[in-house]
Amino acid sequence: MLSLATPRAIARSVSSARITRPLLSTVSQRLSAGPSSSELFLTLGLNYASRRGYAEAYSRAKPHLNIGTIGHVDHGKTTLTAAITKILSEQGGAKFTDYAAIDKAPEERARGITINSTHVEYETKARHYGHIDCPGHADYIKNMITGANLMDGAIIVVSATDGSMPQTREHLLLARQVGLKKLVVFINKVDQITDLELLELVEMEMRDLLSTYNFDGEHTPIVLGSALAALEGRDPERGAQKIEQLMKACDDWLDIPPRDFQKPFLLPVEDVFSISGRGTVATGRAERGIANKGDEVEVVGLGPNLKTTLTGIEMFHKELDRGEAGDNMGALLRGVKREQIKRGQVIAAPGSIKAVSSFQAQIYVLTKDEGGRYGPFLEGFCPQLFIRTADVTVRLTFPSGTPNVAEKMVMPGDHVELVCNLVHDVAAEVGSRFTLREGNKTGQFLMCCLSPGFAFIISVTVGTGIITKILSLAEQK
Amino acid sequence: MFRLCSHIRRPRISPCKFYSTQPDKPSIQLVAELRKRTEVSISKAHEALIATNNDVTAALDWVQKDLAISGVKKVAKVEGRETKEGVISTSILSRGIGSDEAYGPGPRAGMIELNCETDFVARNELFGNLAADIAASAAVLAAPLDAEKLPEFGPFPLDLLHDLPLISHFDVEAEPTRSVGDGIRDTIAKLGENISLRRATALSQPPEDRNDRGVRVGSYIHGSVNNSRNGRIAALVSLMIRSLRLPKILSSTDFRKDLETMERALAQQIVGFDTRSVMYFGHVEGQERDPLVLYDQPFMMYPGNEAGQVVELVLQQWAVERGMVTSMDDPEQITAASALFVVDFEKWTVGESVIEPDFVSE
Repeated sequence: MLSLATPRAIARSVSSARITRPLLSTVSQRLSAGPSSSELFLTLGLNYASRRGYAEAYSRAKPHLNIGTIGHVDHGKTTLTAAITKILSEQGGAKFTDYAAIDKAPEERARGITINSTHVEYETKARHYGHIDCPGHADYIKNMITGANLMDGAIIVVSATDGSMPQTREHLLLARQVGLKKLVVFINKVDQITDLELLELVEMEMRDLLSTYNFDGEHTPIVLGSALAALEGRDPERGAQKIEQLMKACDDWLDIPPRDFQKPFLLPVEDVFSISGRGTVATGRAERGIANKGDEVEVVGLGPNLKTTLTGIEMFHKELDRGEAGDNMGALLRGVKREQIKRGQVIAAPGSIKAVSSFQAQIYVLTKDEGGRYGPFLEGFCPQLFIRTADVTVRLTFPSGTPNVAEKMVMPGDHVELVCNLVHDVAAEVGSRFTLREGNKTGQFLMCCLSPGFAFIISVTVGTGIITKILSLAEQK
Repeated sequence: MFRLCSHIRRPRISPCKFYSTQPDKPSIQLVAELRKRTEVSISKAHEALIATNNDVTAALDWVQKDLAISGVKKVAKVEGRETKEGVISTSILSRGIGSDEAYGPGPRAGMIELNCETDFVARNELFGNLAADIAASAAVLAAPLDAEKLPEFGPFPLDLLHDLPLISHFDVEAEPTRSVGDGIRDTIAKLGENISLRRATALSQPPEDRNDRGVRVGSYIHGSVNNSRNGRIAALVSLMIRSLRLPKILSSTDFRKDLETMERALAQQIVGFDTRSVMYFGHVEGQERDPLVLYDQPFMMYPGNEAGQVVELVLQQWAVERGMVTSMDDPEQITAASALFVVDFEKWTVGESVIEPDFVSE
């Protein structure tokens, strides 16, 4: 009960502050919350610019999390989203976006792929949230594959009047498929149910269902409330307080994914130079992690691994002691000949990433309108796979155990699980993204000629994917 | 767990609706059980048990009867909402001549498009089974075509189909308990999304009274989730097969298997590539191949056709290899082109625009 009382007290103090000095509510809120020292050092560079006008001194970045709402069309996902922005706006953590203003999933293009999704942002005392809502399964999958709006957690919305619906299973399966490990459940419209035991049943059923789909059914926070009551500002016991409780549950239960610079160091090699008197320098943009001068590193991919030491880091022709995620840097490697390292390999913290020769991946195949192929492809299709700076030929097959493989095809617009067998091993891991392209091909019915004797080579993006399972590692001699 | 339980019980403190007039409050176990057996909403299950005094058997009946009433309300509520997701479902009860299915030896096939609002529902089992059932109903109940006519797929009038009995695709012989319209309504009540039957087609034709030719149908379904009868894109194709030795060659299992492979490959070709018509009538030698015409497309989907031979030539070669062609002297000569040929096809994609360009005007 203690944990419940606090947010309520804060809400009260906030709303009173809002009445007297509406303009300064943001500031007072920020002051009263009191930034912790560790948070002060985390810079994320999110869009706080809009508030800079009066809050610059207190501007601090909170850990960011992408969250989604999944649920049946009538169970109040949009109302809930509107209610969250309303309640948090009263605390200065959001811009109130009312029901009508929440876009009905406009089309957008990420990496050339058309995705329908709605975005809203808000922040609680502890975190900044990007909130996304997609109309369908396919859109969430596309988001996962392209990495456009990655969900780190989700709120499953269920109406108390209906309880879990047959398609709630599909909602949970989706959450599994996009790799979510933790969910928060909001049971909406509780003001329409008078029998409390029924509410308990809804909750019990949800816990069962969550456990069936390998979520932690016992501990998953389930909040019962009414988004509409919160939005209309009535019945705070079921409305506003429950929204606060829901956001508290999100803060406490959903895990923040590790940030890029907390991960082990990785630098995809873009180019290699030999500098006389100094040695071999590999350049590229550090993808993640931090590297210090003198660190042990490993060159992985396109052949056997190679252990070496980082003897120098350079950026803009200046020497540095430390390079970190996002830096365009040159890495001076001890005792490595120019021929021993090439574009497509990665320089990584030893043991943090392995060279793989085959993996399973979730792949979205682009439609013709998205710049993809015209026709289908069958098992055994061999496009080029681009991952980081590497580019290798890949043979695509269906996962073992797929029925009727001989007559199965993959068509533009499909999202499929496929096995990728690489001709050369590359550094990769679960969650790595890649693109499939088809070069040197004039297309089934396309043939462009600029002038006689000169045939245009058309390169088509076949699809884009994310690795879901490593099947075999490259042999190390 | 502790904290959560306290949430649930907390509203009891508030002046809440405790003045329930029902003498017997249904037990939660019974509500749960009723929901497991019927998939109706919590409040409906609750209502049913109150109305029947906690008698589960009676409550089941009550739910069935109520689906009609509440279903109508639900239908009215969701009416007009856009439905652009869904599935195409096909049902082939008889592949035509040479098949030993109960509905043979004439061809009998149906295809329908059932739409809903989100692809979550489209992937759901209840919805998938409904689509497969409607496709089976279309196949069983289609008005038979005259035996002498070319086996073309005709549209199944939707008004009519709505009122016809819904036949189970698991067992077409089972006694239907409700109409197609009722089935859609009940599913709307359970899934809470608008569901609409967008189009239906079928081919049902008694065999001709001659044994030198017959009709066959094939199908291909792409993008199946959970149910292999349903998919995102599907095609039905009808073929005419002719041979003086037809009963004999059809009695061979190998031949029938080859024929099924060919039918499937043809349907797959149609699904895989943008195909608008079967062939040009009066194809002139040397005329350029049209990628939108099935006979002119490289037959990519036929196993072993790496050379990319066009459909027309693959079909001819197939017939010649199997000795189906007769000599010039015969009164009714069977040429390579007329031994096995595609008559008609129907290809549908979920949510596509149905206004089709009039391609075969010649």
